[in-house]
Amino acid sequence: MSTTQKFVFFALAATIRLLLIYSEYQKIIADRVEVSTALNSWKKVTEGVYLREAGIDPYTGDLFHESPIGLVVFSYMQKYLSLCMLCGIFVFTDLATAWILGATAYRYTSELIATEQKDIQKRKKESNDEELSTLPSSMSIPASSVTSSALLVPSAYLFNPYVVFNCVGLTTTVFTNFLLSAALYSMINKSRLCSCFTIAVLTLQGLYPITLMVPATIYLARNEEGKNKNFPYGNINKTIAMFIGILIALYYLSYKVSGSWSFLHSTIGFILTVPDLRPNIGLYWYFFTEMFEHFRWLFVASFQINVGLLYVAPLALRFRRDPMLLAFSYLAIAAIFKSYPCLGEVGFYMALLPMWKHLFPHMQQGFIVSCFLLSCTVFAPTVWHLWIYSRSANANFYFGVTLAFAIAQIFLVTDVLFASVKREFSLRHGLSREIHGNTGKLLLE
Amino acid sequence: MGLLTDPRAGNGAVIKFVMKWEKLLCLTLYVTGVIWFVSLAYPDFNDNTYFSENALLPGLVTNEFNEDGGAKRFHDELLAEMKKYPDDMPYPWLLAKFRQLNLDVYTHNFTLNYPLSQQKFTGQNVYSILRAPRSASTEAIILSVPYRSASSIHLTTAPSIALLLAFAKFCRKQNYWAKDIIFVVTEHEQLGMQAWLEAYHRCTCGQDGVLIAGDLVGRAGSIQAAINLEMHSFKIGSIDIKVEGLNGQLPNLDLVNLANKMCAKEGIRRTFQRRADSNPKDKIRKWWYQFVTMMSMVSTQATGVPTGNHGVFHRFGIEAITLEGFAKSGSGTESTIYNIGRVVESLIRSLNNLLERFHQSFFFYLLPSTDRYISIGLYMPPLALIIAGLFIKAFSVWLKLQESTEKKDGESDAVKQAKSEELVLSHIAWEVLWTHILGVATLSAPRLFTYIGIKFHLATENSVSLGLLLLTIVMFIGTLCFERYRTYETASLLYVIALIELATMLLCISMHNFSLALVAAVVYVPAALTVIPKKGNESRFHNLRCIPWILLHPLCLACTVVAVYTHFTFPDYTIIAFALKWIQASKQAIVFGIIDSMVYGNWLYSVTVCVLLPTWLIFWIVVTSKPILRISK
Repeated sequence: MSTTQKFVFFALAATIRLLLIYSEYQKIIADRVEVSTALNSWKKVTEGVYLREAGIDPYTGDLFHESPIGLVVFSYMQKYLSLCMLCGIFVFTDLATAWILGATAYRYTSELIATEQKDIQKRKKESNDEELSTLPSSMSIPASSVTSSALLVPSAYLFNPYVVFNCVGLTTTVFTNFLLSAALYSMINKSRLCSCFTIAVLTLQGLYPITLMVPATIYLARNEEGKNKNFPYGNINKTIAMFIGILIALYYLSYKVSGSWSFLHSTIGFILTVPDLRPNIGLYWYFFTEMFEHFRWLFVASFQINVGLLYVAPLALRFRRDPMLLAFSYLAIAAIFKSYPCLGEVGFYMALLPMWKHLFPHMQQGFIVSCFLLSCTVFAPTVWHLWIYSRSANANFYFGVTLAFAIAQIFLVTDVLFASVKREFSLRHGLSREIHGNTGKLLLE
Repeated sequence: MGLLTDPRAGNGAVIKFVMKWEKLLCLTLYVTGVIWFVSLAYPDFNDNTYFSENALLPGLVTNEFNEDGGAKRFHDELLAEMKKYPDDMPYPWLLAKFRQLNLDVYTHNFTLNYPLSQQKFTGQNVYSILRAPRSASTEAIILSVPYRSASSIHLTTAPSIALLLAFAKFCRKQNYWAKDIIFVVTEHEQLGMQAWLEAYHRCTCGQDGVLIAGDLVGRAGSIQAAINLEMHSFKIGSIDIKVEGLNGQLPNLDLVNLANKMCAKEGIRRTFQRRADSNPKDKIRKWWYQFVTMMSMVSTQATGVPTGNHGVFHRFGIEAITLEGFAKSGSGTESTIYNIGRVVESLIRSLNNLLERFHQSFFFYLLPSTDRYISIGLYMPPLALIIAGLFIKAFSVWLKLQESTEKKDGESDAVKQAKSEELVLSHIAWEVLWTHILGVATLSAPRLFTYIGIKFHLATENSVSLGLLLLTIVMFIGTLCFERYRTYETASLLYVIALIELATMLLCISMHNFSLALVAAVVYVPAALTVIPKKGNESRFHNLRCIPWILLHPLCLACTVVAVYTHFTFPDYTIIAFALKWIQASKQAIVFGIIDSMVYGNWLYSVTVCVLLPTWLIFWIVVTSKPILRISK
């Protein structure tokens, strides 16, 4: 890709963002429930900073849910930066995220091609299978996809309407996304300190990204896998110990900064127990407004297990050879099932998709999923307007849309993951799938 | 999960079916949808209305209204006042009358800065609040009348003002009110009502600085419902119940039922869309009668323009209807002001019984007669069928595209393919972007047009319509400029995008304003399905497909609608007179649409320009593009 092309893309993305930020639509976008949630809205940050300046503990009320370290950073930002500079920082961070994602994609795709070539060579040597030699060229990833994915991933981030809304709405998810991209980049560069640190900061702020430690550990362990064939216990232990060490240090720092442990209840507690039932694109608010108080804890537990624990081990076992895909699936699952999801997170994991461009031909529901996502995106504000302003519709309409949105995302994620499995199968066993003379097909059941 | 198949393993049954029968499938869906919708007016396919909200307790009280003598006196006095001031509202008289009844009475001033020129209009509303003796002022009911001066072109509403005053006098003596009753007399039709509501809720619905609503001195609680009266005569033959509001919003069906039932109880002839219920034995004839009534509702609702003052209430979540009383024409019984007063009393007392907001019955419905309804669950499926054709077409085009690229896989080398893919993507993104930017630009263009027009001493209508015409020409030139890059693939991809955008937009509109979506779908879907991109081997007649699509340009379509309307309003005009009238009317219609969106927040113009126009342009690009087999370099 040419540098000028990249420059044009970044400049265009910055222009779109700045134009929207300084337009009358900024306030409308920032107030949308899909964009700003209790966890990430800039309004709440401003409140928290104000309370802190006034000498009141911002965590005593039910207003502020950022981490204390974030609070300090944001209060410095609000104190010393003018509004212009502040908007500039948001836009700049978003562009930096896109740039880091591009670098990650470049690195990831070139590594993927190298390992795949090695794999095929190895297998060809081992067995003189006919089918493998007849593997069509379309199966292997072309070398050009390194540059193309390094261009497509950042542009998918820069021009993703979800990400643009997120940036224009001035949510703190802009910074979360930046940290996420940094975590992915340091993961693939096998930098232990950086990945542990970024993931620890993310955990402190949003809890769910703790799952990213799994792909990070796999990446870091793979580093020395070639040298000794044994399971790299030492390496893994070192990574985990470092992560826990940094996390504890961060918590202690937070305690020192805020002066008490009350922030735990307002950050982790707020995320886990879901007391705020303001509608958002997630699935919690409707269930828990409808639910009998008696069953609340049972369902809170099962919902949280669903997002945090249930998929971690199975996916890690299946996709251990492709930790980036594993990280993608964790991010996507968190963005769908977490307690206060927002569009910025959805946009982030969708921007990663072009990295797996070679899986697209194996996907089945691309068209349907994209139709669904588009209509849900348009329907949500429509139905919201009918419900809140015209009072002619009700909460069920909006919940229906968010449910459809979640289902479309689930379809997307399963489709990508299953496409990866199918492709792997095809690489190993060839393309033709004749079973007793009939053409068979692979189905996920 | 195996919903569709892995294209590498051969196509599944569903896909094969869709690809083989795509044209027939789309046609069948469209025809079925239309027939289904048309047959909804058949008595077996719709239901009798019923009361859903028990708290209304309709008609369970003994009516006590007895101020018909008072109403007569008010009416006589008002007519004398109107003669004295033929152009103005008799504020002093109204204020004095309300004061004599010992009610809180206030005036409300508002200003309209006419957005397309430097003119200013002012108006004044009079309103009076009867405080409920039984509760704190937390909830209120509105009884409103638009004041029409003697010189107004509309039918007079003087009898309803007399009735309003008489009813206020009656209410004063009762002690059972649990909600405040606000009596509002507005000036300048809907503008006054809109200004009053904006002032009451301290918000602005249209553009900032256009309608300056100011603030109110006196307020009651949150408004639960509103009844608007337009009685044109002291003795009436029938009452027409008007429901359609701004942007096609409707009041809760319970309120409509309530009004119908109360009129029936007093033995007043009820009409809907000015058509009385007819009950022929023959079901087909009954269907036809009800179908015409239903289509009359569809056509009024589709414009999104309110049919009365009730229309501007809906967006504030206030259920409102207008009762319009017409003088007796032809045979039939005649009702006096006494009966109408009793109807109003029953309505207000029922509303007074409400324990919570209207939420039970339907908000989305169509009425084929006064006592039958078609709910959202019945009318949505036909529309969904019509729109489904677009999705199926898009899907099949997409699949064909996938197939053709797969075939090419072997032929060209990967590097070149990736390059061309990038080009295709950026090209499509660019096309989609510029068409939509142009749409948004058109939205804010009228002000600029009039600003320039004033320099050339053009009237507002002329400058706006000339500007829009110029913009359309610019668009045509724009589509010609980029023509050389188009291949069959880019055109097909654009086609898929345009189809999906059109379908999504129609579905979205159908949630707000079903009638508009239905009319748009019936017109646009068959045309959109036929404007397929060229492959290069079509006959010469393929270009003929452009012609219907030109006629569907939003501007063209608007003019066509106006032409039909003009033809029906002035059937005996000669061709030249008709053409002149038509051009004038089209210009005015466009300006009205723009003004409506600026003052009231009617989004017909915005949606047309921001979504329909770009989609139209993309389709136009698709149908006019000349195919090139491969991009060179």
